[in-house]
Amino acid sequence: MAVLVVLAVWEIAPRVGAIDPAYTSQPSKVIAAGIQIVRSGGLLEDISVSLAEFAAGFALAIIVGVPLGLLLGTFRVLRYLLDPPIMAIYATPHLALLPILVVWLGIGMQSKIAVVFVGGVIPIVVNSIAGVREVESSWIAAARSLCAREWDVFAKVILPASLPAVVLGIRLGLSRAVLGVVVAEMFQSQAGIGNRIMRYGSEFRTDYLLFYVLLVSVFSFTATWSVRALEDKLWTSGK
Amino acid sequence: MEQPERSTSLAHVRVEDLTVAYEKPKQAGTFTAISRMNLDVARGTFVTIVGPSGCGKSSLLMAVAGLVKPAGGRVLVNGQPVTGPGRERAMVFQDFALMPWRTVLDNVRFGLELQRWTGEDLTARARRYVDLVGLTGFEHYHPHQLSGGMKQRVGIARALAVDPEILLLDEPFGALDAQTRDQMGTELLAIWERSRKTALFVTHGIDEAILLGDRVVVMASKPGRIVETMQVELPRPRTLEMMDSDRYVAYRRRIRACLAGEQREERATIPRY
Repeated sequence: MAVLVVLAVWEIAPRVGAIDPAYTSQPSKVIAAGIQIVRSGGLLEDISVSLAEFAAGFALAIIVGVPLGLLLGTFRVLRYLLDPPIMAIYATPHLALLPILVVWLGIGMQSKIAVVFVGGVIPIVVNSIAGVREVESSWIAAARSLCAREWDVFAKVILPASLPAVVLGIRLGLSRAVLGVVVAEMFQSQAGIGNRIMRYGSEFRTDYLLFYVLLVSVFSFTATWSVRALEDKLWTSGK
Repeated sequence: MEQPERSTSLAHVRVEDLTVAYEKPKQAGTFTAISRMNLDVARGTFVTIVGPSGCGKSSLLMAVAGLVKPAGGRVLVNGQPVTGPGRERAMVFQDFALMPWRTVLDNVRFGLELQRWTGEDLTARARRYVDLVGLTGFEHYHPHQLSGGMKQRVGIARALAVDPEILLLDEPFGALDAQTRDQMGTELLAIWERSRKTALFVTHGIDEAILLGDRVVVMASKPGRIVETMQVELPRPRTLEMMDSDRYVAYRRRIRACLAGEQREERATIPRY
């Protein structure tokens, strides 16, 4: 309902001259722009570039982040060694690293993948560590009292017990990763959704711009929602 | 290497000059939970250990379980020094220590999986023990869907399923309400009568200690030590009605006196600080 009201106001206000349509565009124009963008055929290429950068960077973040987090959570010595640098990166806005990553990796896909990775990996690591550290010591004691080997303690207690926290980390990393890919493309690139947003922004094509923004938020929303659904499932079976 | 007749006279569990100490968190030095304790437990007996909080009774159980290393002395099981957990011992925990992501059945299977039981369908075996503790119909429930009493039934089934010789119970009914506690005690005895496994049962309830035990060990704190051991000459099977008998009342009075006497001594030492 609230959404409909906002859409109605958004549509009507520029029509009656209450606001300048150049700033806000209108829902009908955004849809029209969307149809044109789809017809012109460039959309699929932009999506595939952005999606490939996102997928590669985020997959890498999961592949590196989850084992690293579990390892750091398990071994105190490693944690003492690596916690300060991880916290430093965590506290730094990862987008601030973008210029240096571009210098290192160029303006192609590699620098975007790197930004997505850095943005996504940190929440995954931090939450995986927390997940391991919050495993009830009595679960571990129970396993040990039943002659569990070290590997069993990990595989049958620590891993399943910290899984909800790991998935939470993935969800939190997800939004940072999406942010990473869009901003990186806006900053310096030849293709992708962020590149389009930047270009139409500078051309004052608000309707085109908003269509791409809408695309990103739909993607981000859907992805976050699916991870959250997975999380809920883990929690209900794990409480 | 056979040890025929002699092994029956051998203590099933022997605690020899046992000292357990923990490092104090965030400061130098150690905290002595148990100091130079000696205790023999004969095969097939139910020994209860009663004492105030912090008297080291749980530490004693942890040492027998092989979950903490003694700072001095040792624990012998079947004459062999304990160096870690073993298949002949299984433990029941006060906070149940069930895996919340596993169902009732899978929690009972847990120990069987860890000990890589073979030659029998693990699920079928687990099901038998779920049945033994009266949880048939709840196999596929998760722990959060169960009451405290039911959770501890799962804990007991998990420990029994691996067929240990010695059952270690660390205040197993401490988190339950009084009525459930009485009922669980009675049921535990019924199960125990059938198998007569050696049992070490830690509690801070005097009644529970007398009602369940063949022998009550009374402990005191600072440092944790035994102040009295007492044979309970009540017939089995035990019933709640026995709590009204003269003999029972006498036992309770004696244990109370032990614990109170220790507390008086403790209070007398306080002004020194």
